[in-house]
Amino acid sequence: MTETSLTVAVIDPSPARAAILEEGLRAGGVGQVVVIPDGPDLQARVASLKPDVIVVHLESPSRDVLEQMSGLSRQAERPVAMFVDRSDQTMMQAAVDAGISAYVVDGLRSERIRSILDIAILRFNAFARLQRELDEARSELADRKLIERAKGILMTRKGMSEDEAYKLLRRQAMNEKRKIVDIARAIVTAADLLG
Amino acid sequence: MRIRLGYVPLTDAAPVIAAAELGFARDEGLEIDLAREPSWATLRDRLALGHLDAAHMLGPLAIASALGLSGPQARLNVPMALGLNGNAVTVSNALWGAMAPESDGLADVAAGFARVARARAGEGRPLTIGTVHPFSSHSYQLRLFAGLGGLDLDTSVRLVVVPPPDTVDALRRGRIDGFCVGAPWNSVAVAAGLGRIAALGCEIAPDCPEKVLALPAEGAEFTAPLVRAVHRAGLWCADPENRGSLSSLLAERADLDSDAALIARTLSGALIVDADGRERTNPAYLRLDAATHRPNPDHARWLVAQMVACGQVAPGGHAADRAAALYRPDIFATAVTG
Repeated sequence: MTETSLTVAVIDPSPARAAILEEGLRAGGVGQVVVIPDGPDLQARVASLKPDVIVVHLESPSRDVLEQMSGLSRQAERPVAMFVDRSDQTMMQAAVDAGISAYVVDGLRSERIRSILDIAILRFNAFARLQRELDEARSELADRKLIERAKGILMTRKGMSEDEAYKLLRRQAMNEKRKIVDIARAIVTAADLLG
Repeated sequence: MRIRLGYVPLTDAAPVIAAAELGFARDEGLEIDLAREPSWATLRDRLALGHLDAAHMLGPLAIASALGLSGPQARLNVPMALGLNGNAVTVSNALWGAMAPESDGLADVAAGFARVARARAGEGRPLTIGTVHPFSSHSYQLRLFAGLGGLDLDTSVRLVVVPPPDTVDALRRGRIDGFCVGAPWNSVAVAAGLGRIAALGCEIAPDCPEKVLALPAEGAEFTAPLVRAVHRAGLWCADPENRGSLSSLLAERADLDSDAALIARTLSGALIVDADGRERTNPAYLRLDAATHRPNPDHARWLVAQMVACGQVAPGGHAADRAAALYRPDIFATAVTG
């Protein structure tokens, strides 16, 4: 794709996600990519940048600001329209699922926008996947720490070895049909409460 | 049954928040997951594409969404209104000083505003006034307010959208000279010492249509129980006896960035309008009472007339009939009596 003549603005409350999209659009050959932060300067910055396409995350509070700048208003300083391709409901659904909306200047051919949206969807989904994996890794680590603490409590209170403490946790979990981490949490909570 | 209901943090989201939090939904066998949306545009898109099952929505935006004027075209019903009024026009202390109206009366205030706006436009630095979305009663009330002073909003004032929670900061930085927004944000600006409530929405357009409950048109099975739950929650919210508890609930759950006492004033209509603590009371400032719940097709027609007046809809055509058909007093009546 060669879109060297295009200017794309990226608006996203998450700077990390914005950076990933910026990089993706550059790699896709978009000539100029500018990340604009949400905030009171947004309207002025969009007006002076005059982007051809604005890719904005659904979580951005600035979407209503962009709608006022669109052709819906007689005051529009730079008429842009929300990109809604009625011929392609799947594309629209995929964009919204990925958290994306786009605003475009009048007259821009829809296939040129779609290649940009394709990149945005891929990048945002990849970011969401990474985020999910990171969250899972974090919670796994937190679980392991909890189990370690519960084992420590059992070892001190009941004079068990580490192996015995773990086996007791596992047996209790099987008996109660719960996860080991749930039993561990109960032990840690009880120990915190009872001192 | 579990449903996802979107809202934007404002005092008039009270009926849906109370329905979800105070057991009115549970009584109807519903569990409501409240989704706080960051913008009206996002709420509109999520409702249109099925991410939300229902929404607390600007009446004009629900109409625009269903008519394909704003965002992906949605098939919607409006089986209930969530209240009337609740907006106000607030101006910076500097602009109020320049307007210097002879009285607090609407005619004097509008005349003062129009005089300053004309002078500023003549100097090539027009007033900048904030609204909440192009398709909002706020935009229409600003136009009517300007019109009272003989001013054409389109040519004399720069209209921008400011997300309501940002209005106070925008006033502080001098980026806007005033705004029209819903409760409690006008009161928040006054409490911060940055603004003067110049006119109440209910004076500019009495019993002005405001938020509605919007649902997908595909006769969902939860429609009737949801309408009943929100209706009963709305009655609870409108009862002056419950104002204290409701204000605390909203301050806590709706992230209104303001304290319960301030929200209570927006509910009772006893507003502090300036930094000196001057009070103005209008019981109709924000109406949540039973008489406001029936979705009135005439309100839809009025809103379309405002859209035509500001160029959002071409005159002629069937927009008013199509909009009126979205408002479903029949569904409301069956739900609350049946």
